[in-house]
Amino acid sequence: MCLFNVKDGFLEAVVRGYKLGLLTTADYNNLCQCETLEDIKLYLTGTDYGPFLANEPSPMHTTTLVDCCTRKLVADWRYLRENAGEPLGRFLDYCTYGHMIDNVVLIVTGTLHERDVQELLEKCNPLGMFDAIASLAVAQNMRDLYRLVLVDTPLAPYFSDNLTSEDLDEMNIEVMRNTLYKAYLDDFAAFVHRVGGTTAGVMSELLSFEADRRALNITLNSIGTELTRDDRRKLYANFGLLYPHGQAELAVAEDFDQIRTAMEKCQPYQSIFSRLGLGETQMLDKILYEEEVRQLINTYEQQFHYGVFYAYMRLREQEIRNIMWIAECVAQDQKNRVQDGIVFTF
Amino acid sequence: MSTTWNGDQVAPLFGYLGAASALVFSCFGAAYGTAKSGVGIASMGVMRPELVMKSIVPVVMAGVLGIYGLIIAVIISTNINQTADKAYYFFDGYAHFAAGLACGLAGLGAGMAIGIVGDAGVRANAQQPKLFVGMILILIFAEALALYGLIVGIILASKATTAAPMSNP
Repeated sequence: MCLFNVKDGFLEAVVRGYKLGLLTTADYNNLCQCETLEDIKLYLTGTDYGPFLANEPSPMHTTTLVDCCTRKLVADWRYLRENAGEPLGRFLDYCTYGHMIDNVVLIVTGTLHERDVQELLEKCNPLGMFDAIASLAVAQNMRDLYRLVLVDTPLAPYFSDNLTSEDLDEMNIEVMRNTLYKAYLDDFAAFVHRVGGTTAGVMSELLSFEADRRALNITLNSIGTELTRDDRRKLYANFGLLYPHGQAELAVAEDFDQIRTAMEKCQPYQSIFSRLGLGETQMLDKILYEEEVRQLINTYEQQFHYGVFYAYMRLREQEIRNIMWIAECVAQDQKNRVQDGIVFTF
Repeated sequence: MSTTWNGDQVAPLFGYLGAASALVFSCFGAAYGTAKSGVGIASMGVMRPELVMKSIVPVVMAGVLGIYGLIIAVIISTNINQTADKAYYFFDGYAHFAAGLACGLAGLGAGMAIGIVGDAGVRANAQQPKLFVGMILILIFAEALALYGLIVGIILASKATTAAPMSNP
């Protein structure tokens, strides 16, 4: 703890400064009062997004608004990554591998549906870009995909662990995404454990919640599909509050009530599910986001750990989602639904 | 037939150890300070090359620590004499040893502080120029620690020649 500031003190101070610039409840209330996208842009120019929005030409679309906000996140993240020593540099890279997986799946799916490569590259998450990403579109099948492109990226170990090339050819793209994500979460948890100290404590809580949330979503999405119970079980990460008994129960659940019974056996998730009415699934996403934001804010209560960087990235992404929701409601003239989709941070 | 010495034969061990430790530890501190702030200057200078000369201040302050060590080492080594008319007792040896350690380890601590503050300070100064005065003040307080070590070292070294034994066996 005493030696944390020697290498990482400056960047922790910088990221806490960035965190102070996140939008508060008062800002969101003001944004909800806006009538047009121009008003939203005018309001946001007064916040930390100012330099990124100031030069946008007048007819605003929601996509340009979201792009400018994402550019701020990318600029902040790049500054942090460039000034980071080790092991903070590796930690920051680990935070972006999830986005890399999403980008790879996006390009592969898009290529399968014959979309243009440039268009796909523009839709990719900028935090998860890597050098050879454009050549993903050239690969004809999964084996080439791995051999030509992915073996040089940081995602390579996630492929070779439990996928043979026959598996890659037959596998459904969503199953591939979840298999990669499981390997990534296990790897990230092991890395954080090796770093040790406060970082291990804070990050393992956040990663457990992420693993459990993904297990829940995988179960919900695979009810009624041909995914077998064993395959479903293989997609759950090897840690988390639900491991191993909760995951065994989730693997055999066939409808929402069985899922709910399995999750409620775990104390923290019981309080989440109690806020959900009986048989209701729409609010589940929002409640999970709120719980995640609550945990991310709590990481800032402790000092001398790397969780604050991960939390900043997630909080900024949540904020961009909120801005997108508000902008869409304003653009489609559905102001009465604005409050449904915002997750307040402070 | 063994030689007999005026004063204590082993005493110069402590005296010379003092001289060496003054220089060595201060130079460790100066090296750490220079290296750490140098990394910060190199990182920040890519985007803001006009600020590099202004940001050399931590490196200069770290260099001064080496000079403090040099002063004490020279003072100590010129006062170690074991000749027929000048005895060198354990008293003198201990005094020189203490002087050397005081200056050297104070310089080591100050060098570490200057390095860490200099690194963070020059990077922050590149983004917010108003921080320059604050950074200089913090560096001055860190430098003062080595100055305390120099002062105490000089005082201790000046005690060395004042030994007055009661009798010579």
